[in-house]
Amino acid sequence: MAIAGDPNLHRFPQPNPVDAVRWIPAFSSLRRLAAAAVHDPDSSSSAVEVHALNPGPNLALRSSHPIPSRISALRFSLSPQKPLLAAAATFAGSLHLLSIDPFEGSIDSELSVSDIAFSAAAVADVDGQMEGREWVSVGEDGRVNLVAVGDGRLEWRRVFDSMGLVEYSAVKWGSPAEFATGGLGFGVQWWDQRKPGGAVAQFKGNWACGNTIGMVHSIDIHPSRKHICVVGASSGTVFAWDLRWQHQPILLSGVGMGDTVQPASESEVWEVRYDTHIQSSSIGSGPTRILPVMMCSEDGILAVLEQGEEPVELLAEACAINGFDIDPQNPSDVICTLEWEMIGILPRSKETSTAF
Amino acid sequence: MPGRASDPGNSLVHFAPEVRDPVVYPIRHGINPPLFRVFVSWSDGNLLNVACLQAPSPVSNATARAAEPEADIGGKVVEVRLGEGDGEINEEQRRRIAYGSVPAFAMLQSRRNSLSMMSRMASSSSFRNEWWQHVLEYSNQIKDLLGPPRLPSSSVIEDSKVVLQQIEEPSSLKAAWELMEIFYVDKQSSAWLPERLVDWLAGYDCILARTETAIYSKLVNVQKKIVKIQVIEDDSEYWEGISSALAVGWLDVVVKLLRLHGSYQLDQLGNRETENGLVEAVAVLVSTMPRMRADLPTGKLGQCCKTKPDFVKAWEKWRGHITKLECSAFWVQCGHRQTREGLRNLLQIMLGNIKNLTTSTCHWMELYISHFLFIRPFSTGLEGMHSLAQKCMQLKPSSNSSGLIGVFMGILGGNTEVVLAECSKAFGPWMVAHAMELLTATDDQADILLHEERYNLGGISMEELHRLVYAQVLSSHPLTWQIAPTYLASCSKQGLGLLEVLLYRQSVHNLRVTLKNLEICRLYELENISACIMKIAGVYYWKHGRRGSGIHWLQQAQDEVRLNRIAQQLFECIGKSISDDSFKQWEGLIELLGSEVGTAGGLEFLHKYRDFKRSLQLVHDKKAADAARQTVESLVQLMRSPSTPRRFWLPLLHDSVHLLNWRGQALLNVSETNLLLSKLQELSMAKLHPDFSNFDLPAQALATVRLALAANLRQAILEES
Repeated sequence: MAIAGDPNLHRFPQPNPVDAVRWIPAFSSLRRLAAAAVHDPDSSSSAVEVHALNPGPNLALRSSHPIPSRISALRFSLSPQKPLLAAAATFAGSLHLLSIDPFEGSIDSELSVSDIAFSAAAVADVDGQMEGREWVSVGEDGRVNLVAVGDGRLEWRRVFDSMGLVEYSAVKWGSPAEFATGGLGFGVQWWDQRKPGGAVAQFKGNWACGNTIGMVHSIDIHPSRKHICVVGASSGTVFAWDLRWQHQPILLSGVGMGDTVQPASESEVWEVRYDTHIQSSSIGSGPTRILPVMMCSEDGILAVLEQGEEPVELLAEACAINGFDIDPQNPSDVICTLEWEMIGILPRSKETSTAF
Repeated sequence: MPGRASDPGNSLVHFAPEVRDPVVYPIRHGINPPLFRVFVSWSDGNLLNVACLQAPSPVSNATARAAEPEADIGGKVVEVRLGEGDGEINEEQRRRIAYGSVPAFAMLQSRRNSLSMMSRMASSSSFRNEWWQHVLEYSNQIKDLLGPPRLPSSSVIEDSKVVLQQIEEPSSLKAAWELMEIFYVDKQSSAWLPERLVDWLAGYDCILARTETAIYSKLVNVQKKIVKIQVIEDDSEYWEGISSALAVGWLDVVVKLLRLHGSYQLDQLGNRETENGLVEAVAVLVSTMPRMRADLPTGKLGQCCKTKPDFVKAWEKWRGHITKLECSAFWVQCGHRQTREGLRNLLQIMLGNIKNLTTSTCHWMELYISHFLFIRPFSTGLEGMHSLAQKCMQLKPSSNSSGLIGVFMGILGGNTEVVLAECSKAFGPWMVAHAMELLTATDDQADILLHEERYNLGGISMEELHRLVYAQVLSSHPLTWQIAPTYLASCSKQGLGLLEVLLYRQSVHNLRVTLKNLEICRLYELENISACIMKIAGVYYWKHGRRGSGIHWLQQAQDEVRLNRIAQQLFECIGKSISDDSFKQWEGLIELLGSEVGTAGGLEFLHKYRDFKRSLQLVHDKKAADAARQTVESLVQLMRSPSTPRRFWLPLLHDSVHLLNWRGQALLNVSETNLLLSKLQELSMAKLHPDFSNFDLPAQALATVRLALAANLRQAILEES
């Protein structure tokens, strides 16, 4: 364990804990902005902050927008546009849609929904369609809602309410009509808006042996392979669930019943994301292989996983890495939030590391 | 510890007995006076919860209260934050230090464990020899954390007019830490102790300057002047500044200042040749001063001597040069009075004239350091250093004794307990818990003192006590509680017990906190605790309507008892809501429960029930005989299974009436039918029982089932015979 930590990681101590960080989709490579969800436990206040990354490197606060409750998830619409749309879900069960100027980094307006009918408990995760006009949110109360930008306000409708019998902790769009959710017991559900009344397919991992909760924390779906979900969950488990072979998930990290893949971590995997930077060695070997996946974990690991290969450890920190994001424009740069009130930026290529 | 406050002499952990000005915290409760009662209780950290209650009004009727709810609150709880830190280090920095010191501390502990394992085989002296180097590494890591390192000179183009690098002021916490490192850890440099103290003062003189006049503040003024004034050598402050800087050994500053002397200017060089020669001669003497130290960092002046004989030789030679210059005839030819007097003063300082040293220094600490430079260049043991310090203190009485000075005097006094007390008083529990490692690194006496188990501390050592105190401080804050386990785990006696208490105490409101809790249990292999935490969380979720989560968490904790209790409640609501089309609602939960037997308490029944319902639906749609036979088989299994609640017997049978009346053949054989009949009989008996609950079945359900069973029995008997 290195005391000073990885020398390649640029560390930016923050005055308060950071719950989530995201790169802001940029128009030019000259101006790079990142958004952070922060929480001050002393004053019980929360905010979405926009920081500009300047050479030096340093992280300068551009703007801050208060959110009434602690933020559980922060997501951006994927396509670069003006203004950008970002959704912040809160533990109090509200959803806030912010419009952010991608040049100035200012937060201009907010639409929110905080109806008890919308959510009775924490909204655990939210995900937006490409342009950010439509969002899907899932909650601890087992409600799945669709939220759309209406006339100067947010309109929402219920997709499903499990009445507390099941709860969801992660969500990700697969196509304009389909999305995947995750929950307890390494469970993944596939939903189709055209077939209402419940999930169209579901899976429960049977790895939950012993004292583990088996909670799914994050799901990612690659735009070119919409039938495969990669899932990050408890006990260092990362697996791919293919809709075409629903009973045969592919374990990328973790301890399974039959097969054991060398786990990159042994604790909660907080976030998984397809790593667009690494050119998979498997491109030639056919479409059946899972593309490289990056994950971060409670025990301080940031690693890239490839099917059938040893995990490549990028960081091994002394504290948890609570979340990360890969810059869509410069996929070599990773921003992450460390448990000890810090934002970290890890440049992976020579060109960008000198630019910092 | 109510008794302790009155007797500070007896306290385990230091607290300041002197009463400062009381601080008044106004409380805005917004309750109409008079207040009936005030409750005060501690919350997290230094938060105080104050509950103010209004006197109950004699005529309290509900309608009046409803009419004006704002005016009649009745009571309110207000949070009051006490203290705002000592100003030098704010809460945010304090947390950063706390986080950063965890890996260093943990690494040192694990090294200690592995080293002591190895040295059990070898001798203990080899342990000591290696150990202090690990502690030194630890100390350096902590030092980096306490502030940026002092860089010699960072600017590429040196400005001749900048004599003093004004850097970000270091904290006295760092100064104290470095002091302890010098005295307790760094064995290698003990021969060069005086020079290390010179370096130390050079770095931290600005801290002394905060409360009293010190050389640093003097030089800051000189720095301001040299930019403005043309003929600097006429100014007395210029010469005072030079002599002060020389007295504490800041040779680079002295030489830089001397070179600003007017005689160096080209237009004056001609008629001030002698004067310039004298200035330069002194500057050369200053820059060649012999110094007994390991190395000289770039930018620092002097002649570096590593061993005592080398140094003595160089010292004598250098002193010879000074005396020669002192007696030189050139002084008479030097026409500039200030220069002449100033330079001769410098020579006197270098010759170690106590009078000149005393006038050139401000704080007693500076006088003390100048002793080491010009009067007694060798270390003389703690006792000698202590008495010298006291002498200097008498010469220059200090009005303000800061915590730093207290620590310094404690170290010189050679009393570990005093050092600890001063550390605790000035810098708090973080310092004490971490500095403990420095104190015991090379000192066997301190090692014994701090590690021996004490009866009056309940059988724990001083070291453990202070770690526990620090862990308590960490535990009280929502952001730092998660690093407390590292410290608790290093406490062999009480640590584990307190760790368990800490883990139990975390609330289950926030899932992340609960998962963190379980992670800590996993790291320290506390399976029992993690099962308990899961149970607590499970019950919490269940009570808050998150039934799926509640069941899942209890299932993972293998809590059969609670699951069975929950199952009864769950079946009750199933019975009411479950019909064939709303089964979708339950699908997710049933999937979550899994199909393995014995993991879900009584709930595994749900899985079988769902399967039965499904195949029943299938029979209904297809009317196929083999599907019907299979359904009947699962019916019999369900009826046989002890996990099937009795309340489901009748609905199950009622649902399968048309199977019992299957046209053409009997799906149940005689013994199976008898089994179902006996169950039915049992049910009719139980009907008389008071807590018998019936679902919304038609009143004649029992009779219908009985009839169908009888019909089936007749058919079966016929077929079997």
